[in-house]
Amino acid sequence: MTTFRFESWKVAWTFFATCLLLLILQVVYGFIMGFAHMGFDVLHDWIPFNTARATHTNLLVVWLLAGFMGSAYFIVPDEADRELWSLPLAWIQWGSLVLVGVVAVIGFHFNWWEGRKFLEIPRPLDVLVVINVLAFLLNIGMTIWKGKRYTTTALTLLAGLLAAALLYLPGMIAFDSQVRDSYFRWWVVHLWVEGVWELIMGAILSYLLIKLSGVDREVIEKWLYVIVGLTFLSGILGTGHHYYWIGAPEYWLMVGGIFSALEPIAFLGMAIYVVAMARRGGREHPNRIALWWSVGCGIMSFVGAGMLGFAHTLPSVNIWTHGTLVTAMHAHLAFWGAYAMLIFAMMCYTLPEMTGRKLYDTWIAEWGFWLSNIGMVCMTGAFAVAGVAQVYLERKLGMDFMVVQEAVQVHFGALVLAACLFTLGITLFTWNFFQYGFMPWRGLASASHPAATPSK
Amino acid sequence: MLSKSQALIFFLAATIGFSGIFLWLTVDTLRQVPVRSNEAAMDESVVRGKEIWDRNNCMGCHTLLGEGAYYAPELTQAVLRRGKPWLRIFLANPEAMFPGQRRMQNYEFTDDEIEDVIAFLEWIGGIDTNGFPPDPDLSLPNAAVAASIGKTGSSAAPRPEIFSQVCVACHSLGGEGGQVGPALDGVADRYSSADLRKWLADPTGIKPGTAMPDLKLSEQQLNRLTAFLMAQGGPR
Repeated sequence: MTTFRFESWKVAWTFFATCLLLLILQVVYGFIMGFAHMGFDVLHDWIPFNTARATHTNLLVVWLLAGFMGSAYFIVPDEADRELWSLPLAWIQWGSLVLVGVVAVIGFHFNWWEGRKFLEIPRPLDVLVVINVLAFLLNIGMTIWKGKRYTTTALTLLAGLLAAALLYLPGMIAFDSQVRDSYFRWWVVHLWVEGVWELIMGAILSYLLIKLSGVDREVIEKWLYVIVGLTFLSGILGTGHHYYWIGAPEYWLMVGGIFSALEPIAFLGMAIYVVAMARRGGREHPNRIALWWSVGCGIMSFVGAGMLGFAHTLPSVNIWTHGTLVTAMHAHLAFWGAYAMLIFAMMCYTLPEMTGRKLYDTWIAEWGFWLSNIGMVCMTGAFAVAGVAQVYLERKLGMDFMVVQEAVQVHFGALVLAACLFTLGITLFTWNFFQYGFMPWRGLASASHPAATPSK
Repeated sequence: MLSKSQALIFFLAATIGFSGIFLWLTVDTLRQVPVRSNEAAMDESVVRGKEIWDRNNCMGCHTLLGEGAYYAPELTQAVLRRGKPWLRIFLANPEAMFPGQRRMQNYEFTDDEIEDVIAFLEWIGGIDTNGFPPDPDLSLPNAAVAASIGKTGSSAAPRPEIFSQVCVACHSLGGEGGQVGPALDGVADRYSSADLRKWLADPTGIKPGTAMPDLKLSEQQLNRLTAFLMAQGGPR
């Protein structure tokens, strides 16, 4: 058994470990907000709600990006069959990403931010993010180039990451008009989450399916094109569902309504694709837990992003639900299903591959899967009840905002309970992750395999 | 059966085709935005208001045009709903209006900053939003502030504007209004005109630590409000 076949995989492991630490911090800030909604805003003077909120969502973005980068640092050397173009650059890129993230989060606690939902990172740091991502793309791109083995999966991954970097730029333009500001902010947020991130998701899932199911690469990659084609077919004009009420022309109601109604089809395609390939695979891969997370990702992204998104995307519904807790309901299951579970699948697949240890069928790994998923589904339910109640009481009946908030407080009690279950699941998953060892290559240094030698 | 190259062509065609349509619609949208959002009225005060809005991450609790967080009220029609006098008092001291309830940070805005924020919110309220936020369509009789505006009750004195815009946020009259402070029905039977006037002019001076905010009323407002309240006798 070769351990850390590529030196580059140490970078991948480090990115994954960073992901989990940031996720845990994200959960902590989630609890702060949950308690504030219950009426226990005890940290108000130190961590007011807007700080907690900005920290919660930005940590999510940073850890998902770190997860994509970690995945790329694992997949690309494997697909190109060579080390990364520059290992020092990869380590510097990791360090600077963490540094920017830490500075941004600390800044949020001292009113250093921009009040632009999801893009609160101040512009000077935006520039550093761009430089950081360029360094990452250069490294990945050069690795594929030098490897001279251009697989569809690696190229799709690269295309997705490149497009994600380009789409970050419109979010950096300064506007005096709130309408224009909002219009281009969605170029980043929507076209990331419901566009190019799905490209990245499709590529990573394909890689996992190739490895786990044993189905022929050509078949999997063909369907990868179809799925990401459907994603862009619906997702690009689906951006219109953010343009209904912000001062953009009325035709966006029709355009956004029609195309965002098609978005679930892409997610359904993704779910069917994953399940069908997993079933078709003749080979019984022993890493069942990685397959669970992969199949779970396909299904939960359809439920969370596809169905729950569709539930409030039509203009006639959205005019009532826009800007209520209904959005929080959709967002939680969508991000969990589509992106968090994807990165968890990658972690579960890569750890045994990197370390050579087979800790994937332990009770800890399985309970981590079930508890976190059940917890997240229950959280979504709590948000749904609170959100629908808010829509009817505040929007339909015209009751005062705070009267309604007090009426739905009880559902935040349910939310916090569900979040405890979720946290237990995440804790078990993290425990399982570190059971493979902290910087696991250190314990293996004395092994007979020099880790730095790429295998040919 | 679909081949891999056909699948690739489908992917590229969908991506390029729909990106093209999206860019075309964007150009048209940007052409229409100045009119739809009344950019002519977007003066320096509005722009400064947006800066204040962004700098303090107001979207981290509130929604504006329905975008933001869901912890504090939607503000697209804040100026229409509350009126400027109410907003001025609230922005100077957020805890004045809803004591003991969910808290907003006190940003210690200057008077100029308060006017900028209000100018920004007023500009936002004038945007053509295709009908958002919608009027309640299942409306039942309730204690909505708006419902009390325009009614004169049993009083002979005219209802001052400040009463409809500010007082009813916390006090009720004739069963309509807020529940934070005591109901004002029959208030004339409980206090003298001079005492009421003193109280309105300087609440904390009379009762330190009271939740009643200093409304910074002008002499004329004090006179009108006192006259109106003194007309609110109990049932005869």
